[in-house]
Amino acid sequence: MGNKQTIFTAQQLDAYQDCTYFTRKEILRLFYRYRDLAPQLVPLDYTNQPDVKLPYELIGSMPELKDNPFRQRIAEVFSEDGEGNMTLDDFLDMFSVLSEMAPRDLKAYYAFKIYDFNNDDFICKSDLEKTLNKLTRNELTEDEVRMVCEKVIDEADLDNDGRLSLEDFQHMIVRAPDFLSTFHIRI
Amino acid sequence: MASKPQRHDSSNSDPGEQQALRLRRVSSPVSTNNYPLFNWSSTPAGEDEEGNSRPHRDLRSIPLPMALKRAVRQVQQMHVPVVSRMESWKRNKTKSLRKLKDNAREFHYIFTLWSKSLQKIGGNFGGGVQSYFVFLRFLVVLNFFSFLLIAGFVLIPSIVFRSVGTTLTNSSGPEKCMNYDPNPQGLVVFYNYFLNLLSGTGFMEYSYLFYGYYNNTMAGDRTFSYNIPLAYLFTVVFYFAFCLICIIARMGTAARVAVATGGSAGGNYSMMVFTGWDYGCMADQATKLKQKTIHYRLQVDLEEERIQKRAAALTSSQKIILYSIRFLMCFIAFGLIIASFYGIFVATNFSQEKSGQEGFLGLFFEYLPSIVITTGNFLVPLLCDQIALIEQYAPSTTIILALLRAVFLRLVSLGVLLFTLWRQITCEGQTNSGTCKLCQYNYEVYPCWETRVGQEMYKLTLFDFLINIAVLALVEFPRRMVVDNSSSKVAQWVGRQEFMVPSNVLGLVYGQTVVWTGALFCPLLPLINTIKFVFLFYCKKVTLFYNCRPALKTFRSTTSTFFFLVVLLFGWGLAILVMIYSLAEIHPSMGCGPFRFFPYMWSIVPTSFYSLSKTTQEFLFFIGSQAFSIPLFVLSCVVMCYFIALTSVYGKSVALLRAQLKLEGRDKQFLVKQIEELSRLQIPKHNAGVQD
Repeated sequence: MGNKQTIFTAQQLDAYQDCTYFTRKEILRLFYRYRDLAPQLVPLDYTNQPDVKLPYELIGSMPELKDNPFRQRIAEVFSEDGEGNMTLDDFLDMFSVLSEMAPRDLKAYYAFKIYDFNNDDFICKSDLEKTLNKLTRNELTEDEVRMVCEKVIDEADLDNDGRLSLEDFQHMIVRAPDFLSTFHIRI
Repeated sequence: MASKPQRHDSSNSDPGEQQALRLRRVSSPVSTNNYPLFNWSSTPAGEDEEGNSRPHRDLRSIPLPMALKRAVRQVQQMHVPVVSRMESWKRNKTKSLRKLKDNAREFHYIFTLWSKSLQKIGGNFGGGVQSYFVFLRFLVVLNFFSFLLIAGFVLIPSIVFRSVGTTLTNSSGPEKCMNYDPNPQGLVVFYNYFLNLLSGTGFMEYSYLFYGYYNNTMAGDRTFSYNIPLAYLFTVVFYFAFCLICIIARMGTAARVAVATGGSAGGNYSMMVFTGWDYGCMADQATKLKQKTIHYRLQVDLEEERIQKRAAALTSSQKIILYSIRFLMCFIAFGLIIASFYGIFVATNFSQEKSGQEGFLGLFFEYLPSIVITTGNFLVPLLCDQIALIEQYAPSTTIILALLRAVFLRLVSLGVLLFTLWRQITCEGQTNSGTCKLCQYNYEVYPCWETRVGQEMYKLTLFDFLINIAVLALVEFPRRMVVDNSSSKVAQWVGRQEFMVPSNVLGLVYGQTVVWTGALFCPLLPLINTIKFVFLFYCKKVTLFYNCRPALKTFRSTTSTFFFLVVLLFGWGLAILVMIYSLAEIHPSMGCGPFRFFPYMWSIVPTSFYSLSKTTQEFLFFIGSQAFSIPLFVLSCVVMCYFIALTSVYGKSVALLRAQLKLEGRDKQFLVKQIEELSRLQIPKHNAGVQD
């Protein structure tokens, strides 16, 4: 299209286009959103791939994320160091998976990782309880939390080991009609 | 699937990069399937077909971190595929096609109407409310394209060929029947123009707006001819077919989602927990409310379970009492609906009797049917809601029942209005008696009955719009001001307006059904409806942002789109019944319109048919004959049976695979137990061995 941008080389932009669900324009727009979080840290020239990481506090303060009860887990899952500090690559990755065009399996994979608080590749009862409390702001009683967790494991656990594996989760998501529209951040 | 060790073998990409990225997975040592692993050491020859044929498509959906994806991409690009020229040409074509699709997507995004507004609405109020606005946008686009269709084939040729052309038939009817003079007589008071604008009479009656103005002519010369009545008929028929195709195409996408996820009787809790939170939700107030909603929904579900348990524990006498109460309430609800129908019937009769009166009183009588319909549509659902409280169904059943009742009420009340009109036009169906004997329709009261029906539909549309604006200005804004500024208990209890999606959608469906019913008699109605819906979009958006709070009982967005379209189809069905009946059964007016002097509107088709060339006639006869239609019918039956068989096979294999999944899980548990037992047996042996 004849863009005279000097932030990325043409090869970098091509690589980003191939690796995410964004077009050129959207990638540049996302770069400016990333830079707006910390203009003094993020250089305007990414051609030599500078190693810039934004701390979690800045990421978590974005308007799209600041009210999401799972923002910390989202940042941890997509960040390189697992602590929530994100590079531009992680940032683009995150919004690519959460965009409209990402397929169901990809989203289900990352949703599973987000809800797996202790990173043991299974959603066990304690993970479920934490999820539920974040969802309802700790307003459900102990009994209700316990009942709901039992029901969830009852419904979704197919191999009967008392916790949800990735396959159980994906199998349940396939039958959820709203998943694609709710696991979606508009940016 | 390659296992972990194979990653170390890859030498194609930067090892340092890989090292840094492995740290991202600060995860369990027992993880086996972290990522669907990419086969690094893939041979060029073997990878030709899958790996490199669609490299870019697969790359985006591999759940790897970005830098790993870039590394994979580098690997793929470095593989020099040994392919024929044909293959590489094909690949280049697919690549450029994909780029074209991406560019087209961006282009389309610019032209999509109101996309930013819809995004904002969805972010603040959730998917349910957004689906209402998406539906409204769909109707605006549908009406606009319908108007273009009608304008291109009926309006513009009529304007162009107004003074030219020869009348089609030379027959004529009795002198009395052809008496039609809609122009106002005598001195016209100036406010009459305003009244005429609102009711479609006076200067508006004899205009392109209504059926009566179009001519019974065929324009043209030897090389080109344009048959206006035939064009009018075919345009209306094609308009209905066009709307049907659009609706069904849109239903297709929604249905696919509904069918794929249907049949899930259980799974409510897990779905609510994992898919309940709308990640796109942005405003702080909305998020607090969203959390309250989820809390509320979970509590409601738990409550429903308790109710079900209680209901199962009812004694039989209590059950009998409950069922008899339900029957009685159903009867009462039905009775209310029938009463409102009777009210519409009486009002329409009265209005038709009093037609022709001047001034504002005349206007009131003109609008009486619309007023009664709107009042009925407003009051009866309220009363039904109160009835539903007594019936004590489960909450989900109550919502569905309320919606069904409201749909029934709205659409059938329109039907009652049309029925009343029909009675008066055709003298209650006896076209050979009384005043209808001369012209086959009631020429005294209705010299041009099609225009009159068109006027009724025009009035309904206009009144619906005015009521919406009035409710906005007089009810919703004051309500917000009262609630915000007063601190009385009552005001707080009433609270801010909630945006009720189902009732608003029914309003849209009702408006669209009126337009469809009236399209034959008032060709410009789609244009009026487009403008009306555009205004409605902005008005509803304003009231949403200023007056409403997010709803507590949310309406599911995916299934609701399908439901809206199904209800729209009901409306379409009603309209097409009316159209078919008018085309085939009622005698067109002899004083006006493009079909005067034809016994039925449809009879122009056979008449024009015989003016086609001989071969075309024979071809069309052949298509209509049994020699063609019976084999076609048999073929479609065969195709349908094939698809039904295919569907049942897929359903069976899904059930089989699901059972197999369960079996696999049990196998795994069994094997794990076996391993534990064997290891327990091994350890004492080993210890015994070591000791020796």
